[in-house]
Amino acid sequence: MIYLPIAEMPVNVLLVLLVSGGVGFVSGLVGVGGGFIMTPSLIFLGVPAPVAVATGASQIAATSFSGIMTQTRRKSVDWRMGLLLSIGGIVGSTLGVWLFERLLRLGQLDLIVSVLYLLLLAGVGWLMLAESIAVIRGRSSGAVTILRRPARTIAHQLPFRMRFPRSGLYISVIPPLALGFFIGALAAVMGVGGGFILIPAMIYLLRMPTNVVVGTSLFQVLVVTVLIVILQSTATQTVDLVLAALLMVGGVVGAQFGARLGAGLKGEHIRALLGLLLLAASAKFAADIVIPPAEMYTLGGGQW
Amino acid sequence: MVRRLLLAVLFACMCAPALAQTAPEVATDLPAAVAEEEIAVSSAYSGSYITVFGVNPDRRGRGDIVVVLRGPEERATIMRKRRVFGVLVNGDPVRFADAPAFFAVLSNRPIRQIASPQAIWAYGLDPAAAARLDSEVPPTADPSAYRAALVRLRTAQGLYQVHTGRPAQSETRAGLTMYQGGLFRAVVRLPANAPIAQYYADTYLFRDGRLISRQRVPITVSRVGIERRIHDLAVNASFFYGLLTVALALFSGWIAALIFRRT
Repeated sequence: MIYLPIAEMPVNVLLVLLVSGGVGFVSGLVGVGGGFIMTPSLIFLGVPAPVAVATGASQIAATSFSGIMTQTRRKSVDWRMGLLLSIGGIVGSTLGVWLFERLLRLGQLDLIVSVLYLLLLAGVGWLMLAESIAVIRGRSSGAVTILRRPARTIAHQLPFRMRFPRSGLYISVIPPLALGFFIGALAAVMGVGGGFILIPAMIYLLRMPTNVVVGTSLFQVLVVTVLIVILQSTATQTVDLVLAALLMVGGVVGAQFGARLGAGLKGEHIRALLGLLLLAASAKFAADIVIPPAEMYTLGGGQW
Repeated sequence: MVRRLLLAVLFACMCAPALAQTAPEVATDLPAAVAEEEIAVSSAYSGSYITVFGVNPDRRGRGDIVVVLRGPEERATIMRKRRVFGVLVNGDPVRFADAPAFFAVLSNRPIRQIASPQAIWAYGLDPAAAARLDSEVPPTADPSAYRAALVRLRTAQGLYQVHTGRPAQSETRAGLTMYQGGLFRAVVRLPANAPIAQYYADTYLFRDGRLISRQRVPITVSRVGIERRIHDLAVNASFFYGLLTVALALFSGWIAALIFRRT
């Protein structure tokens, strides 16, 4: 047991290490920050929600950085794309933090976050699962899988086109900027890194090759979470250094094992796994907002 | 300072009429003290016990003792879940001002046998009486249900405790015990999730339902050592603290990548 100076509560060190290790493993495996599992887990352990959100961001930063170190050796980060996504993300997350505070004051943050989670996780999860199952089936029956990548999307028609050699793309800069902005805003409101939406968006919207998607999304997540940690430290003072250190140790170790295992898996298997994970998470959120709990009243903070 | 002054004025306003009708001359000479006037919160902190002891000045031992341990007063919002298009929504918020973050009441007899409902309300001897309603209650809702919900939720967190009418229990160790010669001792468990702040132990002596004497003893709960340093840094140098956290994150990520490359 160790007492957390900012969260003002004692926690079981082993339990926190175990939880963060598990989340880190999943994040290393599929290339997401893992915030969408980490933040609810921390709240479940009794950590106040604002502390869980802000401190979780620092752990995601550590995990993403460790992931990038591994990914760069495999030449799988498209730095140019990552930079564009990050510029959008910086603007988006600043707006998102402001929106977060607004919703908190209105007392409707919980519901908005739950509904957002539900819709996004279910939609994205289903899309990924269906797609990867189709690919796996096609391969096992010996059929030739047709690459859809050259298909033209809106990204190819907009102005300000730019070459992305590592992704083999020649697309407009507007979609990556807009995507980064959207993810940044969403990440700040939902208290997550946003990788779980970013990855499918990069695959299906920008048509980036799967092998650079993970590394590039990690880069964007790193930039956004570093910004969120600094913003939250100065604005709300809800970052708990002791809790952050514990989460980082568990998270980075887990992420390394996850990344190792992930390197040996096929892309469609990873996507099927992530799809399943997202569907499971969305089912939990659906249950939370539909099934009436035993306690019909909730205690909010002093903000109004 | 202004806040504290406001609270003091508020307290005076709330108590003045009640004091006037129940007991105009309340003495403040009740001999009572706290064993733990200062509680240090270190990294191994897991809550604490607070012991309030004192002597009933009445030579024949008449009267009842009520001990209230109060934490800092803060605002709270209670919302009720409603069904909107099949989805549960937090609605009908009701706000409370001055709801104590921690509240424990101990007495030798059930509190309703000691003091009148007016006195319980005026002196805030019950967790439900301690919180002050600060907003309009929706016309369809019952204000007492919200008050009860506040007490219920905080009780579930261990932040509101009622140990009235029983001596200290062996399993929880919390309770108020009377000894020979008017000596009394009250023990409360301060859980680790109780806020780090200034607490007050208020001791009341009632006789025949009237307040005879009272005493207030402050208890300071504060961080020490590394806990204090981290907290001070987070509050006083928050930008640097943010950078430090980021540096720690990058460092641990880098170390992990390095270690796992070798193996």
